[in-house]
Amino acid sequence: MKRAFRRALIVTMLVVPFAALLAPAQQRGRGGAGRGGAARGGRGASEPVRRMPDGKPDLTGMYLASSSGANYGLEQNPRDFLTPGTGGVVVDPPDRRLPYQEWARAERIERELPERGYDDPTAHCFVAGVPRSMYTPSPYQILQPPGYVVMLFERMSWRIIPLDNRPHLPDNVRLWQGDSVGHWEGDTLVVETTNFNGKAWLNERGDIVSHAQHVVEEFIPVDANTITYRATVTDPVVYTRPWTIQMPLNRRTVQDGDTRRDDQLLEVACHEDNGDLQHLKEVKDAARAAKQEKEK
Amino acid sequence: MNVIAKSVVAAGVLTWMLAAAPLGAHHSFTAEFDENKPVKLTGKVTSMKWGNPHAWIYIDVTGPDGKVVNWALETGNANQLIRNGWKKEDLPVGTPLVAEGWQARNGTPTANVNSITLNGRRLFAGTSNTNAQQPQQ
Repeated sequence: MKRAFRRALIVTMLVVPFAALLAPAQQRGRGGAGRGGAARGGRGASEPVRRMPDGKPDLTGMYLASSSGANYGLEQNPRDFLTPGTGGVVVDPPDRRLPYQEWARAERIERELPERGYDDPTAHCFVAGVPRSMYTPSPYQILQPPGYVVMLFERMSWRIIPLDNRPHLPDNVRLWQGDSVGHWEGDTLVVETTNFNGKAWLNERGDIVSHAQHVVEEFIPVDANTITYRATVTDPVVYTRPWTIQMPLNRRTVQDGDTRRDDQLLEVACHEDNGDLQHLKEVKDAARAAKQEKEK
Repeated sequence: MNVIAKSVVAAGVLTWMLAAAPLGAHHSFTAEFDENKPVKLTGKVTSMKWGNPHAWIYIDVTGPDGKVVNWALETGNANQLIRNGWKKEDLPVGTPLVAEGWQARNGTPTANVNSITLNGRRLFAGTSNTNAQQPQQ
């Protein structure tokens, strides 16, 4: 028994990474980020959407986006050294390219320079913003206390979304996660978010949003284990038109004896041991010094 | 657990940890590590740091001049390891290994690892699915 258990552990260790790495490609093969597939490791796709006592969908549980690498770029991108390739999650415009203004596309390309890695706020352990929080590769928990939907992110941030159509915060209040207000349209949870501070990056490649960002998200329950997530971003400072991304959010479960149960939220105390930041700063400082020397 | 079993488990731990690294990244690895500074490190595990946002493996590497340098190898985050049932003791101090990858751009003994060779067996440990090789059992 002990030997069998050890063998199972070893097989798991050797197989899991490959399954995880190959998952985006497999998803693309099924039709791309727009399709909500069955939750990997979930309880099965055939289970119907769960319901709260008031009949609204019960979205509570732990989730992780199957995002085709959106944290490394929203458009389709080839692999660049250690930055993974991305499948692309843009579903509108039809060409699946973000409709950047000319200056913004130039800034976006410059953000791929090594010395700009220091400028990504998540490298400093800042909050990821919206919609990035939804596809950062760490799980999150959704709660539904009466009148609210609450999202707790393992990278130690949160979204508290009231469902009472209250007005947004005053315009001079600016937040990393913005100010969200939601409502139900049938079975779809619709969340409108404003009041952003404009400091977030949308991923490590540096897709851009500004203080003018306005986000409308749709959480569309597919089955007990899957939510189709859509986010439409309007930002006239950066883009020529609104654009939409889409991806499935999959319930995360773990094996507990003979049964599976929801995964449990842990914590990523990011400031605890963020040794990378000093490296990134030295890369930035060296590039700045080289530029100054060249300009002499 | 005998020596062979320990080595097999250690191999599995390394494979999982290093392949998981990009999945849990919170910063650009391309910005931090230098494609033009490939390294091949032969050493022994001295410790592991199970922190966030990344866990680290430390190995002592003896250079041609006899000088020992402690290298830091970056992996995914500790939560990923915990969720898969691993603990610090699963990679014993003294485990010999060969690591290949790229050095940090700032020139410190820090590396992102593309592959690990343990007991003569090359294990995939990279950050791309294009060169993935299933370890031979």
